[in-house]
Amino acid sequence: MKKFAIVFGVFCLMLSAFTTLKDQIFVAPKNWPKPVYDFAKNPLTKEKVELGRALFYDPLLSGTNTISCASCHSQFTAFTHVDHALSHGVEDRIGTRNSPALMNLAWHKLFMWDGAINHLDVQALAPVSHPDEMGEKIENVVLKLQQSKIYRKLFYEAFADSAATGERTLKAISQFMLTLISAESKYDSVMRKQSQFTTQEKNGYNIFQKNCSSCHKEPLFTNLAFENNGLPPDTKLKDIGRMKISKNPADSLRFKVPTLRNIEFSYPYMHDGRFKKLSEVINHYTSGIQHNKTLSKPLEKAIILTSNEKVDLVAFLLTLTDKKFLFDQRFSYPKEIFFPKPKD
Amino acid sequence: MKFIITLILLFITGNLLFSQSAKKLQLTFNPTFNNSALNLSDSSYTSNRSDSLQIETLKFYISEIELLNDNKVVWKEENSFHLIDAAEKKTLSNFLNLPTELIYNKIKFNLGIDSVTNVAGAMGGDLDPTKGMYWTWQSGYVNFKLEGNSLQNADGIKEKKSFQFHLGGYMKPFYPLQTITLNVTEKDSIKINLDAEKIISVIDLQKQHHIMSPCKEAVMLSEKIAKIFSVQQP
Ligand code: HEC
Ligand code: HEC
Repeated sequence: MKKFAIVFGVFCLMLSAFTTLKDQIFVAPKNWPKPVYDFAKNPLTKEKVELGRALFYDPLLSGTNTISCASCHSQFTAFTHVDHALSHGVEDRIGTRNSPALMNLAWHKLFMWDGAINHLDVQALAPVSHPDEMGEKIENVVLKLQQSKIYRKLFYEAFADSAATGERTLKAISQFMLTLISAESKYDSVMRKQSQFTTQEKNGYNIFQKNCSSCHKEPLFTNLAFENNGLPPDTKLKDIGRMKISKNPADSLRFKVPTLRNIEFSYPYMHDGRFKKLSEVINHYTSGIQHNKTLSKPLEKAIILTSNEKVDLVAFLLTLTDKKFLFDQRFSYPKEIFFPKPKD
Repeated sequence: MKFIITLILLFITGNLLFSQSAKKLQLTFNPTFNNSALNLSDSSYTSNRSDSLQIETLKFYISEIELLNDNKVVWKEENSFHLIDAAEKKTLSNFLNLPTELIYNKIKFNLGIDSVTNVAGAMGGDLDPTKGMYWTWQSGYVNFKLEGNSLQNADGIKEKKSFQFHLGGYMKPFYPLQTITLNVTEKDSIKINLDAEKIISVIDLQKQHHIMSPCKEAVMLSEKIAKIFSVQQP
């Protein structure tokens, strides 16, 4: 009897260890800072993430039923807009900014190039309502979801209630976006001592740490602050960045520092997509900096690089590509939800 | 068996005790124009400044309701967020569950949503972003919404002009949240009037017909509106 109790006890322990491992949908990479997203208010579940994934890929969220989040944030380009400097929305209307790559969002506190959005949950409201993006009202989106057979089922599975609400819709989209973690690049495996940089990459990494990492801070490759990296302002777009929100002149021309993970695929670069190639970006840092009033401190002193060093720096930046992330089935178009195989 | 009976008895007495020790206070917001009930389809209102006007929308958030005895808080509503919409009668009245022996002589509440709630992500109920009181291009709740039309004399020609006042914001210095404290007497109900004519009369519609984002003007107008709330008790 006693023996049985012990065996049973051990079995239970193993079972619980197994289920906690299996249930953990969000696993922060080792040695990363703590995420800022409050998971207690929106605990991730498999069903909610799946619902969020369906919503992310569904053009139902737009006024014309033609544009989905993925139209401007496609997986193969690290969830940014393929090939467009400025984003394209409903009826081919052109926005005023380049869509940022989406990854590791659980560590972000403010969203958009100017930080206009203060929480990931309310992010989706901006593109849904924007006349140049999806041109729809969240009230209508919720109505359309309530009328859809597929979504009644998905909402039921996620919330034990088939009715969509604004809160549930937004939280589900957040859940999917929170799972978009990129931490499997060559850089990461080098840091984990599982592989090694080439001499060229190593040299590039040293140059990077010296000149770039104060803003593009490891391991996220962004310090998540608003900085002015000396881009001459576009005279047509007249984008003042963070100042638009804070109304503080000291924030003029400051933009949220973008991550450099998967930078190989997330071109064009900068808030207005002005550069197509990494070499152009590097030439900007070495010879294009405009010394205006709000230029961030680290860039006040000129960065001088030889052409070999520039090549090395690019070689390092390419080690930030995470193929696993770019092709992860869990993040791709959910055809099994929209086009379920008939049961046989 | 005996145990179950005792449990049931306990449950019943507990329930009785509980229902005896609570009473309901009806808190009603009463939107008016010139002291009579506000009619959103009436386009013949006049104010001291414009020829004629119509109020189409009057919607606002009330939060953190408290009752005070002199300056001491004696009761506080949990999870206290209410959207009051002049177009939806059922939103005007709320019932507060108070303990019977409560002594109070003041009611205190916020006009709007505090900054902590403003940065806490998506919420449900009256705070659901589908309620039309959430800005989309920039996060944050609209605390107070007043919309309508006015007919004005512009250079001798009568011109119909719409007005929209969306007051909100959660970051200093553009943080228009207002705390309102009013004297009340202990009764079964409290009625709080908000007169739209008084609001219009503090705005010069000739000069200013919309506020659509957090700004200094939004803070100033919110301060003025907070002073217009008044208690009516029989
Ligand atoms: C028409 C193109 C377009 C569509 C559709 C679109 N976005 Fe975006 N997205 C953008 C642009 C452009 C920005 C940057 C806007 C800015 O900074 O003002 C952006 C920014 C973001 C950000 C902020 C990222 C950061 O690092 O700050 C997130 C998150 C996001 N979008 C998610 C979504 C979701 C979810 C949807 C679907 C509900 C969506 N987007 C639909 C173009 C689009
Ligand atoms: C003072 C802070 C700062 C420093 C130092 C800095 N950057 Fe940046 N970087 C930024 C900001 C801010 C942006 C976005 C600017 C914008 O779009 O207006 C940016 C954008 C970029 C982009 C485009 C990313 C995208 O997705 O569009 C690349 C690539 C980049 N930086 C590489 C570098 C490299 C390489 C270095 C070092 C030589 C460097 N940065 C140094 C602040 C900095």
